[in-house]
Amino acid sequence: MTEIATANRRLSPGAKAYLGFFARYGTIIGLIAMIVAFSILSPRAFPTVGNFTNVLNQASLAMIIAAGLTLAVVVGELDLSIGFAASLHGILVTGLIVSNQLPIPIAIVIVLTVGGLVGLINGLIVTKIRVNSVIATLGVGTILTGLAFAYSAGVPIVAGVPEAFLQLSLGRWLFGIPNNILVMAVVLGGLWLLVERTSLGQEIQAVGGNPAAARLSGINVDRIKILGFVISGVCAALTGILLASRLGSGTASAADGYLLTAFAAVFLGSATLRDGEFHVLGTLIGALIIAFCFNGLNIFGAPTFSQFILQGAILIVAVGLSSLGRAISES
Amino acid sequence: MLAEENPQPQGTPSASSLLDVEDVAKSYGGVRALKGVSLFLRAGEVHGLVGANGAGKSTLIRILAGLTQPDRGRVALDGKVVSIPTPHRANELGMNFIHQELAFVPGMTVLQNIMLGVPKKTRLGMIDWRAIARDVEPIARRVGIVAPLFANVKGLSTAENWLINICRALVRKARLIVMDEPTASLAMSESEKLLSIVRDLSRSGVAVLYVSHRLNEILGLCDAATVFRDGLTVARMERTELSRAALVEAIVGGGVERLAKPDRKARRDEIALKATNLARLPKVRGVSFELHRGEVLGIGGLVGAGRSELTRLVFGVDKVDAGTMILDGAPFSPRNPAQAVKAGLGLVPEERRAEGLVLTKSVAFNLQIANLARIVRSPLLPLIDYQRRESLSLSMIRDLAIKTENIETPVGRLSGGNQQKVVIGRWLLRAPKVLILDEPTRGVDIGARGEIHRLIRDLAANGMAILVVSSEPDELPDLCDRVLVMAEGQIVRELTGDALSRNAIIEASYAGATTPREAFK
Repeated sequence: MTEIATANRRLSPGAKAYLGFFARYGTIIGLIAMIVAFSILSPRAFPTVGNFTNVLNQASLAMIIAAGLTLAVVVGELDLSIGFAASLHGILVTGLIVSNQLPIPIAIVIVLTVGGLVGLINGLIVTKIRVNSVIATLGVGTILTGLAFAYSAGVPIVAGVPEAFLQLSLGRWLFGIPNNILVMAVVLGGLWLLVERTSLGQEIQAVGGNPAAARLSGINVDRIKILGFVISGVCAALTGILLASRLGSGTASAADGYLLTAFAAVFLGSATLRDGEFHVLGTLIGALIIAFCFNGLNIFGAPTFSQFILQGAILIVAVGLSSLGRAISES
Repeated sequence: MLAEENPQPQGTPSASSLLDVEDVAKSYGGVRALKGVSLFLRAGEVHGLVGANGAGKSTLIRILAGLTQPDRGRVALDGKVVSIPTPHRANELGMNFIHQELAFVPGMTVLQNIMLGVPKKTRLGMIDWRAIARDVEPIARRVGIVAPLFANVKGLSTAENWLINICRALVRKARLIVMDEPTASLAMSESEKLLSIVRDLSRSGVAVLYVSHRLNEILGLCDAATVFRDGLTVARMERTELSRAALVEAIVGGGVERLAKPDRKARRDEIALKATNLARLPKVRGVSFELHRGEVLGIGGLVGAGRSELTRLVFGVDKVDAGTMILDGAPFSPRNPAQAVKAGLGLVPEERRAEGLVLTKSVAFNLQIANLARIVRSPLLPLIDYQRRESLSLSMIRDLAIKTENIETPVGRLSGGNQQKVVIGRWLLRAPKVLILDEPTRGVDIGARGEIHRLIRDLAANGMAILVVSSEPDELPDLCDRVLVMAEGQIVRELTGDALSRNAIIEASYAGATTPREAFK
């Protein structure tokens, strides 16, 4: 008790205001500074409409999965199954189309439903059996990886993927905007509306802010938490589908890497505009930062190993900024 | 003997006193928990420490245990002034503390638990449990531990865990053991056993500072007792001076009688909520009451009497073991708070910050969170109508005189009283049939306290049925039409009309289950 009291030194008002500004707008300033710097260093390759569209297109999948994850963290839980789930869903959708000859829309609906079910299972394990969400979703995610290998027998499903399915990700059906960007915009817009502007969103935020108070206010906390996992699961499925379409194949563990990217985006986002609070708009900005970072590295031809180092560093900085923001809002 | 006119406690510390506390004061923020207490006890003495909730007993224990530092005063052991910066130092000085929440590690053996934090014998660098067991065995048997030392503590009762804690104190060669409400969670027979062990400790020269609300135990066990009231030592009594009447008088004080009761509309005859034999063992043991419309019904009693637990049963937070409720004439058995809220109940919980508010969110957010259906555009399109949200929030801020910059101010920045008004306002927006308030004015300043009391009475005057739980005996007489006093999970007395007074509540709280239960329905 005393240890905590001494560790939680009061910040002076000046330092608090300065740090608060840094924590809230630091990520956005960083994003702008990065774009300016890359534009100066590589004026021909970087600041072009083509490149920006490309970055956004590439980042759309990460943004969708990260936005889903945002819902899980807003209700106060973590979902580590999303990367593995997206990999499985990629295999599943190609398998249903190629092996089972299902029409593409039906295959997509089935996979999205499976994604929701995975989320439901995560949510039930966490709320009813009371398993810590880190463990629960790590376990479920690992099981999903096993299922992915079982379903594909370890071999990527490549042959016979119809062109129409590829066009899902590669096409530009509206005003020449890549489909991925359109889907991303719809998903993020919808989730933003849900969390920020609906009564359900208020309940979601209350559960994340103080589950005990939410419960005593008459909110069904378990149901809201399960909803967070289901949304996270559906978004993971959508990412898996779009990735399979972009790659033209279903490959086990193809989407595993999205897990780290999504977490980095979500935590960077929580340090954006608000003091350590997770929100959809923040996640979008977080994902943009990461996307431009890697785009810059690619343009300058940085070696592959540097990407891993950067990814890890971003994650740590993101969580650090996020907890700094929270410390400021609580002091 | 009593210190009404003469605040100096009787008896003087002598050379033989083991512990000597002199004029110790401690404030937390602006709250003076201890204004200056003195206490001494001799080696081998069982010394009772009593006082109403908030009298300062826990604060003194925390100071002795090295958990907090006094602002003023001195603590001496064997006549030498000591400073106790850490709990470790307290142990070194020979003082051991057994708190209400017992410290033990489930999954470890009895012996491992006894030896927690005690330097252990080793052999070749390995802990030599066999040798330790040989040393501990006689002590364990002496305090009455019957379980094998190598048994897992998981299956042990609360009483046996107490014995483990006592045994640990003896292994550490404690000269003083401080016991905080030792029998609060024990059954009668277990209590008897514990008391006999305390007597045995005393005979072998170990002093015990025995903190308890149960006056029977103090009377039967203690060689002397000290009474705290409002952060001051008001009495010290030697064995020959100890009596129930003297203790109660000292605890209560002759202080101000309650103010004239304000006029209130007579309560209506309609029963809003009727509970019959509600039970959730061990805290609530068969409670029945009727709450009328337009009535403010108080639940008094000591901390741990089962009052908050009762409200949790009524509000569906915990499941009942037995008993039934009727709300507005219809059977009512909420399985969770959501159902209770839907049925027309509201709860202002005891822990405002932990259970009442989302501190980082705005005043408007916290006001509307139980009331979202009223601020959406339509049930089919549940988008929030921000104008409605603002007008409803502003009207509540005005009605309750909540002091806040604007409706978007984070509620964590408001003062305690204003935070409490936000929690109350949340329910008023729903206009519940029954409003339960658990410690409505705890941590609230005097001004806001008066406002909240007036508000509660106004609500009752308008027909709401209100249940108020309070540990402060001063609060209930002014506020309530009727008060039920709980002790040990049961209602032990009903006070109404002229019989309803601060002193009557305290007296009934202490009388506890030893008084024959009047026939309440």
